[in-house]
Amino acid sequence: MEDFEGKKILVIQTHGVETPTRTYSPLFYAMAAAAMEIEVMVWFTMNGTNQLKKGEAEKVQLVKDSNVNLKTMLEMAMDSDVELRVCQQSLELWDMTEDDLIDGVEIMGATSIIELSLNYDHVMYF
Amino acid sequence: MAHEEVKGCVILKDLHYSVQDNTWVKADGDVVTIGMTDIAQSLAGPILHAKTKSVGTARKKGRPIATVESGKWVGPVKSPVTGEIIEVNEQLAGDAQLINRSPYRDGWVVKMKASNLEAELAEMTTGEAAVEAYRQKIEQDGIACTHIDDSDTYD
Repeated sequence: MEDFEGKKILVIQTHGVETPTRTYSPLFYAMAAAAMEIEVMVWFTMNGTNQLKKGEAEKVQLVKDSNVNLKTMLEMAMDSDVELRVCQQSLELWDMTEDDLIDGVEIMGATSIIELSLNYDHVMYF
Repeated sequence: MAHEEVKGCVILKDLHYSVQDNTWVKADGDVVTIGMTDIAQSLAGPILHAKTKSVGTARKKGRPIATVESGKWVGPVKSPVTGEIIEVNEQLAGDAQLINRSPYRDGWVVKMKASNLEAELAEMTTGEAAVEAYRQKIEQDGIACTHIDDSDTYD
């Protein structure tokens, strides 16, 4: 396997709990990148923001009877050193504040996403 | 080979384990064979792809020697030792589920020439201590191992 150490990928997730089949894959790709020693950040914006509201992700389970739900996916991603960030302006869209967010997620503004996307080696947009 | 089973999970007593990372090591001089434990393969589920780092890659302890993915999990296999990869299990490229069927034999991941083996082996667990460490982990995390068809059996 090629060595990708030092590369950086930004994953932008715009889909939320109302579309479960669009929630897992971006996190899975992010974890794969982290396993390959790629620095990876997932940026939640638009509807993606509602995944991060306390109590919501637990309700999203793709595979029946599985012990994995969206909350465990988010936790596995963070355990894999995937950084999770949320758009400040999108929080207001969903009437959310910092207190509504699950632990481990940082808030960033729009200018930060522009800076990040220019400084990362690759951006994956979902 | 002496072994013990805890909740269906096989632990071979003559291997050294990095319990936290679920890897095992078998040393032959300063050359070590490294693989995933039975618990690791069970937690991952049927493995779809296993990509190893290339021969010649230098690794410090804790850094990935391979990336493994199943339908429900993807993650690194972290090196339990410091050294250089001298051989990779080429069979895994075409049959990653070899890790599921034979985690301690044919499903080994890489061989490394270790550079700090004595000290790093001393940090791992082996024998009865390994069985007890895994027993605690299995009970604490509520793990029960499962095996796919044609998995190895142990006498």
